[in-house]
This record gives sequence, structure tokens and C-alpha cells, in this order.
Amino acid sequence: MGKIESSCIIDDDPIAIYGIKKSMKEIDFCNTVVVYKNGQDAIDGLNNMVAEGIALPSIILLDLNMPIMDGWEFLDDFIKIPNNNTKAVTIYIISSSIDPRDVIKAQDYSLVSNYILKPIKSADLLRLLSDGSNY
Amino acid sequence: MDTLTRTITIEEAPIAIATLDNNLCFINCSTPWQQEFISPDKEIFGKSFFDVVPSTPRLFRSVLENSFSIDDNIVEEQKHIMPDGSNKWYQWSIKPWKETDGTIGGLIITCTNITKIKRAKDLLIAAENVAKMGGWDLDMITNTIHWSRITKEIHEVPLDYVPCLETGINFYKEGEHREKITELIQKAITKGEEWDIELQIVTAKGKELWVRAKGMPEFVNGKCVRLYGIFQDIDKKKKAEIKNAQIKERLDLATEVANIGIWEYNLLKDELEWNDEMFPLFGVKRKDFKGNFESWKATVHPDDLERCLQEFDMAVSGIKDFKTEFRIVHPDGTVKHIKANAGIFKDDEGKIIKMVGTNWDITEVVNTQLKLNKSEESFQGSFKSSAVGMALVAKDGSWLDVNETLCLSLGYSRKELLQLSFQDITHPQDLEKDLSQLQRLLDGKVNSYQLEKRYFHKKGTIVYVVLTVTAVKDIEGNISHFISQVVDITAKIEAQKKSEEFLELTKSQNNSLLNFAHIVSHNLRSHSSNLSMLSNYLIEEQGEIEKREIETMIVNASESLNETVAHLNEVVQISTEAEGQLQAVCLNEIVKNVEKNISALLQQKKVECQISIDQSIKVKGIHAYLDSVLLNLFTNSVKYSSPNRIPKISIQATKSGNFIILNFRDNGLGINLERHGKKLFGMYKTFHQHEDSKGIGLFITKNQIEAMNGKIEVESAVDKGTLFRITLVAA
Repeated sequence: MGKIESSCIIDDDPIAIYGIKKSMKEIDFCNTVVVYKNGQDAIDGLNNMVAEGIALPSIILLDLNMPIMDGWEFLDDFIKIPNNNTKAVTIYIISSSIDPRDVIKAQDYSLVSNYILKPIKSADLLRLLSDGSNY
Repeated sequence: MDTLTRTITIEEAPIAIATLDNNLCFINCSTPWQQEFISPDKEIFGKSFFDVVPSTPRLFRSVLENSFSIDDNIVEEQKHIMPDGSNKWYQWSIKPWKETDGTIGGLIITCTNITKIKRAKDLLIAAENVAKMGGWDLDMITNTIHWSRITKEIHEVPLDYVPCLETGINFYKEGEHREKITELIQKAITKGEEWDIELQIVTAKGKELWVRAKGMPEFVNGKCVRLYGIFQDIDKKKKAEIKNAQIKERLDLATEVANIGIWEYNLLKDELEWNDEMFPLFGVKRKDFKGNFESWKATVHPDDLERCLQEFDMAVSGIKDFKTEFRIVHPDGTVKHIKANAGIFKDDEGKIIKMVGTNWDITEVVNTQLKLNKSEESFQGSFKSSAVGMALVAKDGSWLDVNETLCLSLGYSRKELLQLSFQDITHPQDLEKDLSQLQRLLDGKVNSYQLEKRYFHKKGTIVYVVLTVTAVKDIEGNISHFISQVVDITAKIEAQKKSEEFLELTKSQNNSLLNFAHIVSHNLRSHSSNLSMLSNYLIEEQGEIEKREIETMIVNASESLNETVAHLNEVVQISTEAEGQLQAVCLNEIVKNVEKNISALLQQKKVECQISIDQSIKVKGIHAYLDSVLLNLFTNSVKYSSPNRIPKISIQATKSGNFIILNFRDNGLGINLERHGKKLFGMYKTFHQHEDSKGIGLFITKNQIEAMNGKIEVESAVDKGTLFRITLVAA
């Protein structure tokens, strides 16, 4: 599987977002990128998409440490989105935390496919795409 | 010649006899007469009768009155008072003698001294009266019975009562008494046997009486013609005898059963008598017993002998009763404890001649007493010196005795404690469980119980103890009092509390460390990763505009890193600086001061502030930290106030024990605690869409409060308001 249609970045750090976007552009990761600054924004945005019948992004890159609603809380709320399509969404955690507790906790969420340590490089994104092909 | 012959005859008569002429002058008398009334050498012939006989027999009066015209011999007994004042009884017999011509020539007088007979008879009557002894006589031929006056009195019948054999027998009590007398009378009549027996009669008035009946038969030609005997009232004696017999029997039984030895010692003869019980008591064989003082002395334990002899001497000299205890040694070496009591007997001159006493074995008692003393001693010893608090407690809970350790634990003197009950000093929350356990003990459901409880020290502080209560029963098995053992575990409990506090502190410090580690692993790393990423981009980037953009981002990332490092530094300083800088701070002043400093902000946002803190409330804190904490709370309340209502802040403080509780309440946006509760005081956690949210304020606040040994808690409802409760140590 090659380029995907749309992806989503949920992160409050503008520098991190800049880096991810730059890497995406390099490898032509997707056609559209949606960015949310925290979990709450993301939930609200995704709910809107479902309501408007727009397909959800197939890959979500989720930061953990965010104001208002952090990555964990987003995961708890994401399951509740009333749409079967959520199963077609692959969520990757992107975090600068090297705290092993965070890594272990991420494994507890079946929704989470992998834990990617920041900074995100184009090689990381390429691996996501090849993961997706195995999917 | 005739006369001479006659004269000689009279003189030689063996009885006192005399002849008188018509003038009542002596013609002649026999030698016994002469001896009775006049000295043998004196001449009696021709002397007047009245001169010779001390007082004239009454008989003579009638003889003289009748001019000697008496037909026959007349006899009379008369008492005479002799010239020396003594009494004599004579039986007189007088008869006239006639001349050959038939005329009366004079009188023949015989006189018998019956004084002795008379006296014996009087004595008999007196004895009969005194001994209540009567006589009886049964004529078998005529079947008539004669009872003497006393016999009638004993039967309580009138003096004119006439008994017969059958009525006589019927007076005996029906049953064995009547059967016995019947049998005895039959034997007497048929076999001639006498009887002497003690039986009961029932008197005419119905009184039961013990009598002694004695009877003898008289036989003529092999046939019993008469029964006679005596009859004696022995009721008192018999009853006393019966009673004595009972007492003696009882006493014998008692001494035998109780192993009481009885001894009697004759001081004059040095004779010692022992009853049967004495021999086994002293382990001495009867054949080896010499029966003197020495034989007793030999048994006494050498260590007690001197004292015993002294006590014996004191008893003999009347100084002190012989009441003592001593040890004896049996021939086989066994040592026994003997208790001895003795009385003394004196002769007419008051000299002590005899001692009678009792001995009994008290070895068991003494040994038990010794054991008791030992256990009492050891109890007293352990009671006094025990490191455990001990008390004897009455059934009503009052202290009967307390030891030093308990006094120390509770802070009261012994005297003070004894005036209190355990209820008085028991923590009210622990009283009920103690009382219910005590009730179980009183009900006999358990013999002892143990519980952890609290007392109040005299100073009012709490004393933690482990209490063990054991019931003590009296000889009848009823609970007499309790023994309480009180192990003071206050130090242990306090140490435990302290270690819990330490644990809590360690936990919080550990949390801080974890938090710190997380901050380092995440917050610092996110900046460093950004920086490294941006640096790479900068190197690779060709476009000038792009490059400048990246450079700006690098600057921002550096600043963020700087800021984070500064925050971390602040936190580290809070934790390290607070140590030893705590001082008493007036809470009201701090709050008012902060309010004043941000009055411009408060006015701008039209915040209504209500501060109610007593001036006297002081906390242990650091001025700058308290300023920072309150400033942060004020600004938070203003920052997260609801746009839909006038912001209100109310601040109040109360004292609770050693702590001051500060309630800081607002009516702002509130926090969803279910969601954010755990992260509320974390670093870089924000929960509101607000440009100023940095997620550092409450993190710093919490660290500052904890540095002052306080804590911060939160209650909140979304769109209602938030309450921060800060607990600080009172100064």
C-alpha cells in the first residue's frame, strides 16, 4: 500500500507538527493532513467528520502530553465515536517520553498500533505505510 | 433378904434401870444408869430423881398427875437438853412397883439412850428429802403398796393416793421402760433377784421423769411375801448424764476425726498423760512413751525447743497462756507443725499443779500458708517491680491498688489513681468495648480478656495500652476483683505513627522524584528532540526563507527548554530551601496582602472577595511560599472564572487540632475531577482552553505547600466552582 488519502496529527507542540509535516511532504505520505492541538479538539473534529459523512483519516499520530485532554483521554473517548469506520483507523502514539511506563501503558490499548519516539523522521512514516500494507 | 436379893439384881442389870420410892428418890440403880447420869463414884441413893436427871421426862408429869395410878408400863421418847447444852434423846419406860401389901411402893424406870438412832433416822429423812428419794413397800399377800411421801411427790399424786401393783407399774413409760420393770418384778418374785435400774415414768401430771428404782424381794418358806425398795428422782442428773454422754461422744469423735491430741501434765509428780490421738500425732509408740516432761521435750524440734520451754515457764508462772505453735520431729525424721493450747489448774493455795492441753497437726495449714505467702510475696514482688503496669480493680471499676509503672504511664500519683475508676480515664470511644468485655467476664463467659484501648494521661494526652484483665475468684468461686495488666504501647504507637508519617513523606518524595523523572524524560526531551530535529532541518534546508523559519523555531525551542529548566530549578529549590525556614505566619495578613497586591485585577474582573480569617490564626510556613500559593489561587480563580456570573471568592480558615484548614472557594468554571483529578497538580497539565494555561501554577503550589508540611486537596463541580482545601500546621 502506498500513499494514503488522509492522516491526522494530534499534538500541541508546533515544532513537532512542523517536523512531522515536513517529513510527510518528503515521502508524499498522504494527500491531506488534519492537525488538532489537543485531544478535545481532535474528538470534536472527528465527531464532526462522522456527522458530515467524511471518511476518518486512516492514520492518526497521537501525542500523549497535551493540555485540556491528553492522549490517553483521547483514546478513551475515541472508542465512543459512533462509527464503524473507527476500526479502519490506525493510531500511532508519538511521544518524546522515554518513560517505560508510557510505553507499557500504550500496549494496553488495542487501538494503538505502535509507539513512536519523537522526533518523527521520514523513515518512521515509511514504516507506517508498509505496516499498513500488511494490514 | 428379899430386898437384898432384889437390890443386887437391879445393880447388875445390863441396862440403865433405877427404882424410886414414892418421893421419887432413888432406892437403887444399875451401873449403866449410874454411868449415864452421874459419876460412878458418887452416891445416888436417896437423891431426888429431879436432881439427877437434867430435865424431867414429860412422862413423870402424867405419872404424878395420876398419883402413880398407871396400869402398865408407859414408854416415851424425849429430847433432853443437857447442862452443857448438848441434846440427848432418851426412851423412857416407867412402871410402878408394889409393896407386898399391894400398895404402890414407887417406880421402876428404865432409860435407853437413843440419841444415835434418833439422829440416824433424822438424817435419813433429811437425806430422803434432799436426794428426792422415796421408799415403797409391797405386801404380796394383801397386794397393798405403801409409798412414802417422797415417792408420792415424785409420782405427783396426792398424799392420800393409794396405789396397787398394777397402777404402780403403769406409771412407767409405755414401751421398753414398762416392759423392763415388769420383767424385773417378775424375776424378783420368781427368782428372788434384786433390781436397781434407771427408767422413765410418766407422772400423774403427765411429766416424763427419769427415776432410779431399786427393789428387793423378801422370801418366807420359798415364797415371795414382800417387795420393798427405794424410788429416786434422778431426772436432772440423768438428763445431764445423757447430755454429757452426747457431748463426750461428740468430743471423742471430734478429737479422733480431727486428730486432736489431748494431754494432761501433773507438775508435782512429773506425770504426762496422752490420749490415743497423741501417739500417732507425735509418731511415738505407746510402749516407748515414758509419760513425763522429758518424753514431750524429746519430740520438739531443736530450733523451737528453747522458745517452747520459755513459753511453758511463762504459762506455769501465770504470765501468759500456753498458746503456741512448734515443730516436732518424728523418730523417722519427719517434721510436723503442731499447734498447742493449754489451761492450768491450781490447788487451794493457788499453786499451779496441772496443765491440760490440746495438740493438733497444722503441717498442711502451715505449708499451705507458706506456699501462699510465697506466691503472695512473688505476686507482690512482681506487682511492685513489674515493667508492665498492673492494677487490682474492684468490680465497680475503682482501682484497689496500682503499681509504680501504671502510675508512670498515666501520670497520676498512686493516691490520685486510687480515687478514680478506670472508667474515669478511659477514652470515651474505647469505654464501651472495655465494659462489654468486662460484662462477659462478670457473666463467667470468659476468664480473662485482652484489648487495645486508650487512656487519658493526667496531662490530657492519649496513652495507648494493651490491657489484659483476669478475674480473681474468692473461696466460693465468686469474682472478688480483677487483675489488670496494662502494657503501655504509646511509644510504639507514636513510633508507628511517625514511621507512617515518614512513609507518607517518603511516598510523596518518591512521587515527586517520579514526577521529576517524568518531567525530565518527557518535557526536557521534547525540547531536546525538537532542537535536534530543527538543527538537522537547518543543515539540510536550502531555501533562505525556510531557514529563517527554522531558526526562529530553534530560538523558541531553546527558550522553552530554558523555561522548563527554570521551572525545574524552582521546584528543586522549593524542596531544598524550605527546610528549617518555617516560621509562625499570620494567615490573615498574608491573604489580605495578596488581595491588595492584585486588587487592580480583581477590580477589573469585578470579583467579589470575602475573607474571614481570625487574626489569631498562625501557621508554620514560609512567607514567600504562602504569598505564591495564594497569588496562584487568586489568579487561577480569576483566570477560570465563569463569564456567565459575577466571580466570587470566599476564603476562610479554621483550626482543627494541630492544623489550620484554609478553604479557598470560587464560583468559576470548575474542573472535571473525574477526568483530571489525578493530573491536577502535575507539571504542564492544563485543563482549560486558555492562552495563559501553562500547567505550572498548581504544580508549584503543591510543592510549596508540601514543603511547609501541608497538603492541598480539591473539590470541584464543572461550571459550579472549585474549592481548594489547604491544610497547614498551626504555629
